[in-house]
Amino acid sequence: MFDRRADLKLIRRCKLGEEAAFQEVLTRYRAAIYNLCWRMTRNDEDARDLAQEVFIKVFTLLDRYDEQYAFSSWLFRIATNHCIDHLRRQRLRMLSLERDGGSDDEEAEMQIPADGPQPDVVMQRREALEKLEEVIADLPPHYRVITLLRHDQQLSYEEIAETLQLPLGTVKARIHRARNMIQQILAARKYEI
Amino acid sequence: MSEQHSREAPHLTCVECQRSLQEYLDGGLEKPESMRVFLHVRDCTDCAEELGRIEQLVALLESLPEREPPAEFDARILASVPYDSYRAMAGLRRARVPVFLEEESLPAWMRARAVRYAGTAIAVVAVAARLTGLLPDTAVTTVVAAAGLVPGAAYALQGMARRLVLALGQSGERA
Ligand SMILES: [Zn+2]
Repeated sequence: MFDRRADLKLIRRCKLGEEAAFQEVLTRYRAAIYNLCWRMTRNDEDARDLAQEVFIKVFTLLDRYDEQYAFSSWLFRIATNHCIDHLRRQRLRMLSLERDGGSDDEEAEMQIPADGPQPDVVMQRREALEKLEEVIADLPPHYRVITLLRHDQQLSYEEIAETLQLPLGTVKARIHRARNMIQQILAARKYEI
Repeated sequence: MSEQHSREAPHLTCVECQRSLQEYLDGGLEKPESMRVFLHVRDCTDCAEELGRIEQLVALLESLPEREPPAEFDARILASVPYDSYRAMAGLRRARVPVFLEEESLPAWMRARAVRYAGTAIAVVAVAARLTGLLPDTAVTTVVAAAGLVPGAAYALQGMARRLVLALGQSGERA
């Protein structure tokens, strides 16, 4: 999906301290990283802060980037971990406010309220997309991120495996599972897309 | 066609088929496996409907609206890049060569362009003189020519070795 060789050339220029090279990397990836962060949080300010922090981290730690992997994999890995950490911290804050922690199981985060809007309403496409965004946001974070990497960023299974440092089989199983969850939630809320 | 196929591999059950549908759509299945899914979906209404639902869902997932980062997004990031320390590191990387490969380790006269060119010219003249019969002795010619080539060859070899070491050093750092 992303041009691996061109990225490597750019990163080498960055490592020499060339300002234009950093600008170019940013231009190449800002939309992808910002949108990933936005869909993970569904909040403008959080998305902006998270995405900026990701780039600041990456641009400061370029010497730790291992060139045998694609730069995009490293970048998405840092972005993914940063978003998931953020969600975890946010959840801990909520829990400590409620003083009534539920199960720690990630799956428990998934709520399937059946009282959505009126049943059997056939929605327009735009509306369908909004509902779908809402449903993705309700997936457990690890399923949310894999869905976004696959379908929004359109990474291949192999690229996702490299990004998340997971075996290929696990990647396939999670993508499959995530899609099943989406369909379950859609059905439970009587959303038709 | 489908009966001949079923002799080679048993037909998929609906559960097996539906487990493979996503990969089937993504083109991630091996040819025979992909063919089995294709044949099953052709003959099974349930699985064909499921395939249709997945296709529709995937099409929607791939057309989620893209959001623009806010206007001042880049500025904060670019302001925080430690350009200077990258530049300083780049300088250090370049300097990493053994002392005997530094240009200055050769005597100044050997590095002088005039000496190198003159030496090469002497060698050429000596060889030419031998070929035209002006110099009768091959051994003398060889000694004169070799002596003439020393400064130029030393300079060129050292340069090549230095570039090689630098290139190896850089790729070593990256690995
Ligand atoms: Zn079937």
